[in-house]
Amino acid sequence: MVAVPTILLVDDEPAITENLAPLLRRAGFEVVVAQSGDEALRRVRAIPPDLVVLDVLLPGMDGRAVLRQLREERRQVPIILLTQVGESGERAMALEEGADDYLNKPFDPHELVARIRAVLRRRPTTGASLATAQRLRSGDVVLDRASQRVFRNGSEVLLTPRATVLLAYFMTHPDEVMTRERLLEEVWGWAFPAGTRSVDTRVAELRRALEENSGSPELITTVPGVGYRFTARVESA
Amino acid sequence: MARHLLRWTVALLPVAVAAGLWTAIRGGLVADRRLAVEATALRSDWLLAAGCLVSLLGGLAVVLVGVRDARWRRRLDEQTTAGALDRRLLLSRLDHELKNPLTAMRAALANVSATATGSDQDAGLRSIEAQVLRLSRLTADLRKIADVESSEVDRRPVDVTALLEEAMEIVREQPAAAERALSLDLPRAPWPLPQLRGDWELLSLALLNLVDNALKYTAPGDRIEVRARETAGSVVVEVADTGPGIPPEDLPHIWEELYRSTRARGVAGSGLGLALVRAVVEQHGGTVAAESRVGRGTVVRVQLPSGVAGEA
Repeated sequence: MVAVPTILLVDDEPAITENLAPLLRRAGFEVVVAQSGDEALRRVRAIPPDLVVLDVLLPGMDGRAVLRQLREERRQVPIILLTQVGESGERAMALEEGADDYLNKPFDPHELVARIRAVLRRRPTTGASLATAQRLRSGDVVLDRASQRVFRNGSEVLLTPRATVLLAYFMTHPDEVMTRERLLEEVWGWAFPAGTRSVDTRVAELRRALEENSGSPELITTVPGVGYRFTARVESA
Repeated sequence: MARHLLRWTVALLPVAVAAGLWTAIRGGLVADRRLAVEATALRSDWLLAAGCLVSLLGGLAVVLVGVRDARWRRRLDEQTTAGALDRRLLLSRLDHELKNPLTAMRAALANVSATATGSDQDAGLRSIEAQVLRLSRLTADLRKIADVESSEVDRRPVDVTALLEEAMEIVREQPAAAERALSLDLPRAPWPLPQLRGDWELLSLALLNLVDNALKYTAPGDRIEVRARETAGSVVVEVADTGPGIPPEDLPHIWEELYRSTRARGVAGSGLGLALVRAVVEQHGGTVAAESRVGRGTVVRVQLPSGVAGEA
């Protein structure tokens, strides 16, 4: 049992590692820095770290290749990807390939600390990583992430694509309080004026489709004044 | 070259043959009396022939100019699209190059803020932080425009009536809205607006941006009208205001990324709103246009093709 979690921080830009490393150390983590994909792989095999913060754009072997390589080696170390290319497909791809979370540059450094804590907290209780699971189950709701289909009691539930992505995000981050702003950033990819309403609309859609009684939800509960939380237990199915 | 020569030979062959025959007849080589008739004509006939020749030459000149013009215009079009592509590439590179420094700056700021004590320092740090955040937002907006331009949009039925009503509700929540006369005019009879096919959120963002702009660039007491009509195969949404108007020299540029009129300097904003609106509308197969008179106001018109009936 490691008392202080070790974070492997992978970024080729010294300006970023030099500033993020002390920040993470102050937040109570042990930090090891790697400048390239190859170095990252070597370090993961040697240490191994409790979590990897991995930049996508790296010289030589890029972050995505590192992620794939680690997952092929069946290493379950949690990975937070730092994405750069702002395409909406990027987000889905990051999660599909087995990242536990991702942040778009430039991000709020405190947000990175919060995500690291959340991923580390989530890890031991759920055993196998929810992020890498193909199918997620919570009660009678099953989400197949490869085909983006949702089933309830064995029969398919038709959802809008956005609601499906939202559900996937909720189910891979169970028990975390999500502000509407964060959901917007993660699921929609950007904040916009009508955004928080869009979140409410999609949550309402999920509740209508998945809850026993959408008036008193048991899966997605409202956290007054803050946002939402996926309260039910999630397991990989 | 040889092909050219052949073409001219074929074209001039009848003339050459006729000239040869004429010379032969005049020289008395062909001794047929019927051929020896003098070619005579009245003066007016010669003038008529000359007139015909002039018309023919004129027609030829017009065709030549037309062909040349079309070729020139095509070249200009190619240059314009190449220019637009270049600009987009430059913007995406710029956005990309800004991300790492901004990430580093935000981390560094968080480190410094954690140890700073003096209140003077705090004020300075807060202001740096605010400006870094502003730059971060700018990159996010640039990214969004590039994202909209490069990806396929959703094609789901969108109820424009509901969309506009929601947008107005959101706009009315802003304090500035209470000081302006806002109105929404939608057709109900004989039938409401047809459905569009598209991405609700993107369309909502585009229309909200337009109304928000109108709100930003008008003074208390001004009037803002949002109206929508169905025309052949499309829905036209207009956002009109009685604001200060846009000078004619600025009007063609308002849809460009980062364009800010000198008159808009006093208003907060990144200069990306309308570029985003244009990107969203064009991805939906629509067009944007604006008319304005300085001192009178502005009307921005968005035309969006409506969904094919029965397809939904």
